[in-house]
Amino acid sequence: MFNHVGIIEIFAVIVFFLSFYGLITSKNIIKSIASIGIMEIAVIMFFLGIGFFDGMKPPIGANLENAADPLPQALVITTIIIGITICAVNLSMLITLCRQHKAADWDVVEKKSSE
Amino acid sequence: MLYLFSLMPVVLAILLYIIPYVRVIKSMALFCQLGLTASSVYIFFLSKSEEIVTNIGDYESVLGITLRSDTLSSVFVALTSFLFLVVVIYGFNDNYGRFYWFFMFIWQGLLNGLFLSSDLFNMFVFIEVATIIVSVLMMYKRDNRSMYDGMVYLMINTVAVQFYLFGIGYIYKLTGVLDIDAAMKIMKQMDPATFYLPFALIMTAISLKCALVPLFGWLPKAHGTASAPTAVSALLSGLHIKCAIYLFIRFQIFFEMIDLSVFFIAIGIITGFVGFIMALSQSDIKLILAYHTISQIGIIMLALNIPDAYSRTGGVYHIINHAMFKSALFLCAGIINEVYGTRDIYQIRGVLKRLPLVGGATIMAILGITGAPLFNGSISKYFIVSGAGAFVSAMIILINLGTIISFIKYSTILFGGKKQSINREEIDVFRQMAVLILGIICFFGGIFGEQFIHFLFNIDVGVDAAGYFEKILLFAISVAVGYVVFRYYVKKSLILKKIGSFSQNFRGMCASLGVFFVLVLIALRVLL
Repeated sequence: MFNHVGIIEIFAVIVFFLSFYGLITSKNIIKSIASIGIMEIAVIMFFLGIGFFDGMKPPIGANLENAADPLPQALVITTIIIGITICAVNLSMLITLCRQHKAADWDVVEKKSSE
Repeated sequence: MLYLFSLMPVVLAILLYIIPYVRVIKSMALFCQLGLTASSVYIFFLSKSEEIVTNIGDYESVLGITLRSDTLSSVFVALTSFLFLVVVIYGFNDNYGRFYWFFMFIWQGLLNGLFLSSDLFNMFVFIEVATIIVSVLMMYKRDNRSMYDGMVYLMINTVAVQFYLFGIGYIYKLTGVLDIDAAMKIMKQMDPATFYLPFALIMTAISLKCALVPLFGWLPKAHGTASAPTAVSALLSGLHIKCAIYLFIRFQIFFEMIDLSVFFIAIGIITGFVGFIMALSQSDIKLILAYHTISQIGIIMLALNIPDAYSRTGGVYHIINHAMFKSALFLCAGIINEVYGTRDIYQIRGVLKRLPLVGGATIMAILGITGAPLFNGSISKYFIVSGAGAFVSAMIILINLGTIISFIKYSTILFGGKKQSINREEIDVFRQMAVLILGIICFFGGIFGEQFIHFLFNIDVGVDAAGYFEKILLFAISVAVGYVVFRYYVKKSLILKKIGSFSQNFRGMCASLGVFFVLVLIALRVLL
């Protein structure tokens, strides 16, 4: 089942589930936001690994023999932009919450904002 | 020309943001929205006869970005435009400021783009950016609680979308294309077992966005958050959740060789039950409506997975009906909340006397959602049941009974109250118009249900008079049983109160996302 998977992809899957572990366990909101960022990076890494095998050249210039697939890179740029936006919105919400509650802990914030 | 549906609202949003005169903004928004609605109906007529395909940048279909409008997507686009028209009418005299309309119109453009897109990656972009817009709109008033809710909503949806993105990355790796049709053609020649992992990843993401059990924790927070603008709550429950259902329909066709309908029927039934039980235990009117969305999503999910053309059509019709009555209920709840100054179901009394038109619209919507005869819910539920087996039909009837009990509780706000203290309130004309339009559509959607389904999906369906009469009888019995249960059990139940206080935190949601992913993988191994 996994014979078509390269080393980069396997690494990406490991990072993906590591960040998932971080999401489940971390009590701090900033750590959760960071975990989401790592998750995105794992997916990006997976995309970059798709079209690339050992000995491939970057898809630049006129000589396109044995070049890596350029499409994943175009997708990845969009993903990165969306990821940055999400991180920015999350952090700005967090700043407001922190100012109100003086805490960045999920449990404390939840308890205080439901009062 | 399909890209205009996505582009025009965005251009309009920017124009509305630039123009400094509030009056001009609002009239312009209304007129442009009318134009958009008209053109979406026109596109619907066009794509009923033939699929419309637009290739952006004149690349070939598989290489470039393709927008495709078939009957299903054009119905969804028309629904989007219509609901936004209602919301623009509703908010015509509101003073939310420029940012509000800016975000609203961008949201519309994104939804249209999602429905028209036939490219896996574009779907991700549209749904993810729509999530950001929604979370910003939810905390528009910068209230304490809605900030937390908006944050949880954004974060859990982002995590889910990463699963989706991983899935499409895997599909791209295996097939080498991102266009849905082209990928389907390649996938048919391959071993279905290769696609179990992307299937599980994508379906987990979509299930979270559909708020199926056990992934529904974010929905009451997002849809029921107290201080979100009313129109936003209405659109979230009426329309935004339908994106996920739309994606589910698309991916069901996409992964046609992986048939996991038994699993999703089971999940759908559980979702239906959990939804109404949670709704029964709430006392905040907005939260009650939010939990009912979960319950109705369960019914729709069930219908879409029954292998029968009638049931599936009924399911899609129920999506439209749910959009109508749930938006009506949310908009009415917003007006009621403003007039009474509270959302507590035990303190609001006598809505029918104080706000006659709003009360009337609420009654019509309640009759719609409970599947009362002559209203739209009854038609769609009739078709869903017609193709289902005995067990599934019994479950649908039970879920409907639960819905009826809960809405008997909800309708207590309409009556009662001390007579001398109730005066008629003057409500903004546009708001009343908006809720009445939706209420009346609930009624017409029932009377002309057959014609409507024929018009929308080109499927001839006949409502059997004897069968329908049976359903009327069933409804009457359900109401009687529901009233007795409500009177003698629900009012006093302590267990329900305990259930009502249950809420999932962010870590819990993430954990259940992982559990669901493993569940899907196990189901794939066991059932196939």
